[in-house]
Amino acid sequence: MSLLTNVMDHSLDEGYAEAAAARGGDGPYRIPGTVRGLITLGAGLALVGAVITVGAVNAHKAEPTLAKERDALIHRINDANGSADHLQQQVQDLRRKVDSTQRQALAPGEGDPAALAGGVGLAEVTGPGVKLVLEDAAGTGAGGNVDPRAGQGFSNSGRLRDRDLQLVVNGLWASGAEAVSINGQRLTALSAIRAAGEAVLVDNRPLVPPYTVQALGDGPRLLGAFESAMAGQYLRLLQEKYGIKSTLSAQKSLTLPAAVGVSLRTAQPAVPETSPTGAPTGGASGSPSGSPSPSAPASSGPSASGSPSPKPSGSTPAKRSPSTPARTTTSPPPASSPPAKGSRPSTTTTGSSSAATGAATP
Amino acid sequence: MIAVLGLVIGVVVGLFVQPEVPDAVVPYLPIAVVAALDAVFGGVRAMLDGIFNDKVFIVSFLSNVVVAALIVFLGDQLGVGSQLSTGVVVVLGIRIFSNAAAIRRHVFRA
Repeated sequence: MSLLTNVMDHSLDEGYAEAAAARGGDGPYRIPGTVRGLITLGAGLALVGAVITVGAVNAHKAEPTLAKERDALIHRINDANGSADHLQQQVQDLRRKVDSTQRQALAPGEGDPAALAGGVGLAEVTGPGVKLVLEDAAGTGAGGNVDPRAGQGFSNSGRLRDRDLQLVVNGLWASGAEAVSINGQRLTALSAIRAAGEAVLVDNRPLVPPYTVQALGDGPRLLGAFESAMAGQYLRLLQEKYGIKSTLSAQKSLTLPAAVGVSLRTAQPAVPETSPTGAPTGGASGSPSGSPSPSAPASSGPSASGSPSPKPSGSTPAKRSPSTPARTTTSPPPASSPPAKGSRPSTTTTGSSSAATGAATP
Repeated sequence: MIAVLGLVIGVVVGLFVQPEVPDAVVPYLPIAVVAALDAVFGGVRAMLDGIFNDKVFIVSFLSNVVVAALIVFLGDQLGVGSQLSTGVVVVLGIRIFSNAAAIRRHVFRA
């Protein structure tokens, strides 16, 4: 408190009192009497006025400068925000580009694996196509009520055989089908159409006649191509000779289910080469529609034309054997059944030839 | 008469010449203004007390301005510039207020 009291008590400069005491008590002294004193006082007051005015002017001038600085700062903040937004946008664009590039790199030429799934058979597909219904000849077992496991075997010539179905499916592929299913079972590159016992199996599941083959593609064109190709002639031959009925019709909209029990794996060929047979080089996920088609008619054509009646009426296993070796050339190694085994039922002759891989092997 | 003339000359010079204040001095200008006001009020009070001395007035004004600016400059160098300038303003403000109160008593007899 003493400091504050000191400040309060001695507010007047003590030099004044000292000067007055030194001058002596000759009355009150207000304005300097001498010219020099007057000039000193005037100069001092001028200095005081100048200092105060300059200070005020300076403060006045500084105000717009401060406002300008603030405006400039705000401007810079807005600029930085704008450029940050721009960079954010750029980041998003680049990220999108990276995504698409990655997808392209992962599945060259085919888009992403999800898009691939439909063509490979792992996803349900819908579109126009062709529906083919094949029925065993009358009298071979009462139509759909036949038990495939209780039949009398394929020795009964009126029954559709697995090889017939293979040929039909390969013909569909060759005619430009993009997806094929038999009795609601989607065919993939790994599917096999074969016989076991008395039954035709697709992927180890027995089929019950009638056999409904659905193929997706350009409906009328696919129909025409199939009918004019070898497989169509073969079907007509079956109908003429053995009474196996086939009904072919173009459909506006077909829905093929997804294959079960298959997983999609993608692989890249070490050396990108175009195999003449179109056999998938990289792995299991080769395009099923393209690869088997070129070789299917070429490889199995001679056998069909060479033996115009592959199913003679009342044929015995022994009688069939001459045609078997010609056909098994289109099958992979397991199907190399010698004609000597012809005495047995034909379950072994077709082995595990699959619709796709069998045709793809030259 | 000459006092009023000097004051007017000073204001006119400050207003119209507008001397360029060096950037290094600009932060101490407000403190200098307060110190000058303190000197002016002290001089007016001394005049009314009848003990005015022109030499004392000039010297006190100059020393007030310089010392106030010096204190603030020192504070700036030590990092306590704003606190020290606050202290200077408080002390000078108290002096200005008490001098103004003394002047008021002389003028209004109250």
